Amino acid sequence: MDAMTISRADLLGLAEDLLGSGIRVVGPAKASRGMVEYRAVAAASELALEGPELPARSLKEFYLPPTEPLFAWKSLAGGKVELMEARMAPPPTVVIGARPCDAAGVEVLDKVMGWDYRDEPYFARREATTIVSIACAGIDSSCFCTSVGLGPDATRGSDLLLVPIEGGYRAEVLTEKGARLVSGHQGRFRPDSGAAQAQEFKQKARAKVAAHAPPDARPLRSWLETHFDHPLWAEVALRCHGCGACAAVCPTCHCFDIVDEPEGVTTGVRRRNWDTCQTARFTVHASGHNPRSDQNSRIRQRVMHKFMIYPKRFNEILCTGCGRCVRACPGGMDLLEVISRVSALAGGAG
Amino acid sequence: MNVYQPYLVRIANITDETPDTRTLRLEFVDPAVAESFSFKAGQFGEYSVFGAGECTFCIASPPTRKGYIECSFKCVGKVTRAMRELGVGDVMGFRGPYGNSFPVEAFYGKSVVFVAGGIGLAPVRCVIWNVLDLRDKFKNVTIIYGARSVSDLVYKRELEEWGRRPDVKLHVTVDPGGETPDWKGQVGFVPAVVEKAAPSSVNAVAVVCGPPIMIKFTLPVLRKLGFTDDRIYTTLENRMKCGIGKCGRCNIGPVYVCKDGPVFTASQIAALPPEF
Amino acid sequence: MTELRELARKLLSDGQVKVVIGYEEGPRGVRPLFATDGAAADRLIFDERCVQNLATYLDRRRVHVARLGKPAIVAKPCDVKAVAGLLRETQLKREDVVIIGVRCGGVLADPKSLQRLGPDTMADRCRTCETREPGLVDYLVGPMPEAVRGQSGRDAKIAELDAMTPEERWSFWQKELSRCTRCQACRQVCPLCYCDRCMADKTEPQWIESSPHPRGILAWHLIRAIHLAGRCVDCGECERACPVSIPLGLITRKVAQVVAQRFQHHPTDDPSVPSPIGTWRSDDPQEFIL
Repeated sequence: MDAMTISRADLLGLAEDLLGSGIRVVGPAKASRGMVEYRAVAAASELALEGPELPARSLKEFYLPPTEPLFAWKSLAGGKVELMEARMAPPPTVVIGARPCDAAGVEVLDKVMGWDYRDEPYFARREATTIVSIACAGIDSSCFCTSVGLGPDATRGSDLLLVPIEGGYRAEVLTEKGARLVSGHQGRFRPDSGAAQAQEFKQKARAKVAAHAPPDARPLRSWLETHFDHPLWAEVALRCHGCGACAAVCPTCHCFDIVDEPEGVTTGVRRRNWDTCQTARFTVHASGHNPRSDQNSRIRQRVMHKFMIYPKRFNEILCTGCGRCVRACPGGMDLLEVISRVSALAGGAG
Repeated sequence: MNVYQPYLVRIANITDETPDTRTLRLEFVDPAVAESFSFKAGQFGEYSVFGAGECTFCIASPPTRKGYIECSFKCVGKVTRAMRELGVGDVMGFRGPYGNSFPVEAFYGKSVVFVAGGIGLAPVRCVIWNVLDLRDKFKNVTIIYGARSVSDLVYKRELEEWGRRPDVKLHVTVDPGGETPDWKGQVGFVPAVVEKAAPSSVNAVAVVCGPPIMIKFTLPVLRKLGFTDDRIYTTLENRMKCGIGKCGRCNIGPVYVCKDGPVFTASQIAALPPEF
Repeated sequence: MTELRELARKLLSDGQVKVVIGYEEGPRGVRPLFATDGAAADRLIFDERCVQNLATYLDRRRVHVARLGKPAIVAKPCDVKAVAGLLRETQLKREDVVIIGVRCGGVLADPKSLQRLGPDTMADRCRTCETREPGLVDYLVGPMPEAVRGQSGRDAKIAELDAMTPEERWSFWQKELSRCTRCQACRQVCPLCYCDRCMADKTEPQWIESSPHPRGILAWHLIRAIHLAGRCVDCGECERACPVSIPLGLITRKVAQVVAQRFQHHPTDDPSVPSPIGTWRSDDPQEFIL
């Protein structure tokens, strides 16, 4: 694997170069009320790369937006209808300062988005985007990336991984896209150095997260497959408001709704919008029958989907351990605790 | 064109099966699509009324008939009520065919017993015609169909046609109290009629579809007649949106109704978690 | 704490209630507790980190909670006002809930911080709160706290917004609301958003669009503000629940100011006080219509 180094100033300079050549730069930036969010920046000075906060939402919205038009229709005379494809020309984008848990989330989502039918809107954005991640020092006790086969230095989904060293970063080139980014901006990068420092950073970060993270969640799949009915779900669901804040901030939750929106008497747009299995109406039939009619079954669905159903289908956990669901939940739901509980019930299998 | 954009279809024919059930015959607007479109019995589609939304129905016509597809629906919500407002010549959308299908080729050389109730006859009708269009490939064909009352029977013309055929044994029934004075068919719940007809399970498969309560009481009757769960086929429904496994809505445990179904054997259903 | 725990134990062992809904120390901060036995009751706590409004859990549509049986609820004065709202609107019968009121001197704006409670660290709504001791309760626990008062940051911001031109104010709200994804967390945590089927979820007819585009987002927040006028108790849950920190408290506070001014109504723990949105008086101001 190729490695270079880049100074902090040069990284911001790289962002300016990209912006100057008309490329969209997305990265963590301060928003109102002390919040940090991933957004497209107009100047490199807007980037808030040093943390420690995790951006409020993940990178998901740059591939699967909260709302997007699928196509438009126009009713014509004589009962005819004309359909207009949604324009799919996403701007070339470089994400600078992604957290490894967020970059990994995109790679995990590729599986379902490419399952038999290729979701072109998603993949068009995927192809147009390069991700430069910055290895994380570990944020707080809600992180558990090490429990899902990842870590604060995970490389999945990243094209370039920058590991903090003195004065800047050691840049690990991971993919073709990453190599192209480096070679297109040679002046910003210096030869490899600081390998030992980078290694120390990674080890410290890993140890910090692992110190409070629950056991490995990967073996829990078989317990989940055989314990659909278990009192755990009734207990865990009590605090849940069914609000969906967890799904909104999650890097891997991808459930969506499809709606038609008339925009005039004869025209309209069909849209795809974020949705969540946590609401009561998510699975209700037209007859009124609801297979998941209480929060117990909905919470169970969330945990099952992430730790059993998706792994069974795609050999991937639908979770990157970013901990946002825990931080965002108004009811105090705690996925780390659920993983620990299930692990204990499964007889410490992991 | 992305995978969520439907084909355009025009309503060629409307049949009101019952006061609340209607069948639409749809033809593809694009002649190239009309030419190349094919599907297998049991598959479903997402039917659009632009402005109202999409709705999931099985393709109720058989794959052996080219040039059109049919769907049958009841008015229960926004999209079906909008469908009811449409007339011949109006254009709708269709995405599909999606899902798995009845393994009709595996039924070759066997007897097929069809059991259906109410509007559940729609997905079964597709297989019935698929079988009848290739009649000599199958042994005995038995159809047992019932509805709450005479006016609730769907595909009435086809029931008459099937009844007239010497190579089909047809039993039609209505629930007790649902008969009219001139009703010549049977009176009794479908499971009871199945028991009375006692179709042989020797080298036979069963295709069952109808309201959950009908299925609940029919399965034991079929099992008593010797049908094993892996030879009883049915279809499941669930709330759907994308129909292609991405929106995360229709799964029952690890099984996606839109991808692993909608056709399942009774043994596959027995293995599902009780969440449907 | 002992007083609360002993009371909870007694209510449970006597069979007066089947569950005591209160607060406990979770692995990552204070969270709601549903105590159904003495051992769980011993985990009950109350301090300045107990920001949640537990009245939300009284909604009988939360079948998974309702099926536990008759509840007792640990409620701060603002929370009791929400319970009063539910009683006023016949969502709850008085005899179906036991209210354990706690005397409250305010809660922290950031319950996860390790700060001491003071005028700058307390939640904005507490800074101008007059009610230390709730009415309507079956039991009252906790020591009478010192009155810590402060200046409302929200009032200052509202004054700033009121002084803006409509274009400037519009620009402020467009920017803040642009982060909304219609996750509806604000609605789900609100004790007074209890409709069987929210207007925003209806499809026949489609009153408002469900998409999180600017007009859908605006429609949602406008509807919620109007539907809560005179009913909101300013518990702050909506703003706390929003995963992208939209300043919903500015909206609720502004609407409360308007309601106070027009209808002389303030959130109250007295269920017999009629709700302005649900009551017609012949002297209701109507100069804007006539």
